[in-house]
Amino acid sequence: MEDIILEARHICKYFGALTANDDVSLSVRQGTVHSIIGENGAGKSTLMNIISGIYKPNGGEILVKGKHVVFRNPNDATKCGIGMVHQEFMLFQELTVLENLMMGFETKKLGGFLNKKQAAKDIQEIAEKYGFSIPLDKKVSELPVSLLQQVEIVKVLYKGAEIIILDEPTSVLTPQGIEGLFQAIRYLTKQGKTVILITHKLKEVMEISDYITVLKNGVVTGNLTPDETDEHKLANLMVGRQVLFNTQKHEKKIAEPILEIDNLTAFGSDGTEKVKHVSFSVRKGEILGIAGVAGSGQGELIEAIFGLRNPESGTITYKGENITTTSPRRKREKKIGYVPQDRISTGCNVHANLIENCIMGYHVAHKFKTPWLLGKEEASLFTRSVVENYQVKVQDIHNKIGDLSGGNIQKTIVGREFSQNNDLLIIEDPTRGIDVGAIEFIWQKIIDIAQEGVSVLLVSHELGEVMELSDRILVMYNGEIAANLENTPELDEKTIGLYMLGGKT
Amino acid sequence: MKIRKKLKISQTARLEILKYFVSALLVMVIGAIIILSQGNSPLEALNAMIIGSVGSPSAIGTTIRWATPSIITGIAAVIAFKSGIWNCGIEGQMYFGAFAAAIAGSAITLPRFLHIPVCLIIGGLAGMAFAFIPAILKLKLNVNELICTLMLNYAANLFTEYLVFKYMGFDASELADAIATPDMHSTARLSVIIPKTSATTAFFIAIGIAVVIYLLYRYTVKGYELKQVGENLRFSKYGGINYKRTFIMIFLLSGFISGVCGGTEMTGTFGKFRPAFATNLGWDGVMIASIAKNNPLAVIFISIIWGMLKAGSFQMERTTSTNRLVVMVLQSVFVLLVAIDYEALFKHFKEKRQIRMLRIQKEEV
Repeated sequence: MEDIILEARHICKYFGALTANDDVSLSVRQGTVHSIIGENGAGKSTLMNIISGIYKPNGGEILVKGKHVVFRNPNDATKCGIGMVHQEFMLFQELTVLENLMMGFETKKLGGFLNKKQAAKDIQEIAEKYGFSIPLDKKVSELPVSLLQQVEIVKVLYKGAEIIILDEPTSVLTPQGIEGLFQAIRYLTKQGKTVILITHKLKEVMEISDYITVLKNGVVTGNLTPDETDEHKLANLMVGRQVLFNTQKHEKKIAEPILEIDNLTAFGSDGTEKVKHVSFSVRKGEILGIAGVAGSGQGELIEAIFGLRNPESGTITYKGENITTTSPRRKREKKIGYVPQDRISTGCNVHANLIENCIMGYHVAHKFKTPWLLGKEEASLFTRSVVENYQVKVQDIHNKIGDLSGGNIQKTIVGREFSQNNDLLIIEDPTRGIDVGAIEFIWQKIIDIAQEGVSVLLVSHELGEVMELSDRILVMYNGEIAANLENTPELDEKTIGLYMLGGKT
Repeated sequence: MKIRKKLKISQTARLEILKYFVSALLVMVIGAIIILSQGNSPLEALNAMIIGSVGSPSAIGTTIRWATPSIITGIAAVIAFKSGIWNCGIEGQMYFGAFAAAIAGSAITLPRFLHIPVCLIIGGLAGMAFAFIPAILKLKLNVNELICTLMLNYAANLFTEYLVFKYMGFDASELADAIATPDMHSTARLSVIIPKTSATTAFFIAIGIAVVIYLLYRYTVKGYELKQVGENLRFSKYGGINYKRTFIMIFLLSGFISGVCGGTEMTGTFGKFRPAFATNLGWDGVMIASIAKNNPLAVIFISIIWGMLKAGSFQMERTTSTNRLVVMVLQSVFVLLVAIDYEALFKHFKEKRQIRMLRIQKEEV
């Protein structure tokens, strides 16, 4: 049997009245892949942040290789050989890979100068040992996402990590990229490193893990190996009930186009052309999915359509009317709804309460009884209907939305946009980083609303989501539409994955 | 559950009150140390301050006189800060408002019930016009409004001085005291509420403005939009708020109220425009808004305290040998103390202690 390298005993962590971890114990064996799964708000991230020294626990202890440790800050954890790769990469875009890797861990020559040669040699050695090949002299901004992830992994290895924590590593990758990552993980564990994997994706958990720990509401609900279980059992442990992964789809009639995009070009914030002569149309009652690797121009395309970004050229026609340059206000008045990708900075105001958050947009598109007065009653009525119909878990609608978990914030935003009788919904990554129960719920809502004749433009970085929901799939690659496919049962992930990487033309 | 929630709200409110109390106490301690270090008696100084601020009808009048402009400039600052606009040009906008109101008060003849509102509105419009400069610069050229408004204060001060000379003719007088616009008609002057003091009905105008702004934020769609723009601009754009129009509106409204403050100073206390009449009144507004945490009703109370401090400090200087500047130092210290996030500080120390204890425990093991 492998040695236990990391042990957490009876960890408790409270945030005010909220219990994030309640008597959580975990033991990780050396040279294994240990997956931590659970709903959002189940306390996975809290536990990992405690192990990597970002949070301090209210109770309990951590043992590394059998020795008690107390972390004052993340550097203490690094010294004990614990390294974390965060979901959002923490790299400097304008520096080279080498400079990024040296950051905070500089090899110095006499007199305090950087010894880049020595560092490059050391890093190259480590990379070779663990089977990574990364271009050290290239700027980070020039590298694709999958390579960036490798850079992050090499970074923690270079800092001497024995235990590598990967937080949702597959959410940014293509199917091919995920395969590559898994190979790397297997290679790492073969060399004696230990990997802790945090993820939502049960399929991947089953494929890669040696051990699985399931968390629910801050408590451990299961310690298993993949042989003892299957996806449905795991999902059951996570949410405490049977989860149906098969959303209910019905036959429906798809009618004339409602939104037509013709030859649209838009620039990104950095001044480069991000959307290149894109043309497509969305029909009434249709769910049109847009797949693509992150950063292929989807974000800019959506912003241009909703009016948050000025298109460079081309036209957008909605219900036969040219809306190319109209403001979001006008678009809301014309019954276009939008669920943005970034729910915290764009989708809501974390400092405001639920009512204030729910009436945003509603106050423009629907107006209150007296146009310039806030209809308090109407506002709370609408908020209550969103909370009830979308199962938002909140004690009081006067609570701040920022105090809710990610899944509940997302449900609120989806509810707000879906409850306004919109004719077109633009939805961006509706289930990013939220729990299985909420994912299923939101998926079903999307399918139901399309059934009612609402057109949906769905952009997602989760290929599975696009394939599950869409009637038709567009694949974006490098700012262009690489493929326009009917979503038939024969369509498989591999084909779309190739389009996503620009492999097929 | 409901009971717990109520308890929680009252607890946060209690914490907030405690925070002001602790800050005030600390200010007193620091003040005592400063006064002692100058070789004077803190108790004597405090006594003088109390007598000077609430000790007699005339003292109360002086308090009200100074609380009035503080409320109005405080509200002007609240409007801007609440929406994330750093209008530090309240002082300059006030100068323009005051100048325009003084001219309107002396050059036009109108019945009293019309003359005062006309003066105030003309003052407000002048302040608004001056606020339009940074607003349009920010919108069209993305000029930082903080620096822009800050610099324009000097421009306003000197330009109104120039206008006074121009209006009076360059050789009007060599006497500094006579460099002023003509006296305003009595129809343009507000009534005094406490005889033989400068406390005028402007105080009620100020409270009225604060209440109106409070209602604006609480009950109107526009107020809702203004708040959202300040708290999350991206969210507001996404939600369909016309943020450009909102920006301009905030600037103009803030400028208008600053101008009205100039107007009430003229129609109330001064009666004619003197260059550089209002040393730091605009800055008082900025300080008060930050102490009041952008709450219009809190501005009224803080301003009254502000007025008491100011009135008391004059008395203190007259009767004791303590310098009035001490009070200004203490006012600024108060702003700093209120700005401290005590909760985070407390948590930080608690965590440190926890870790120390853990260490000790470990060593014992």
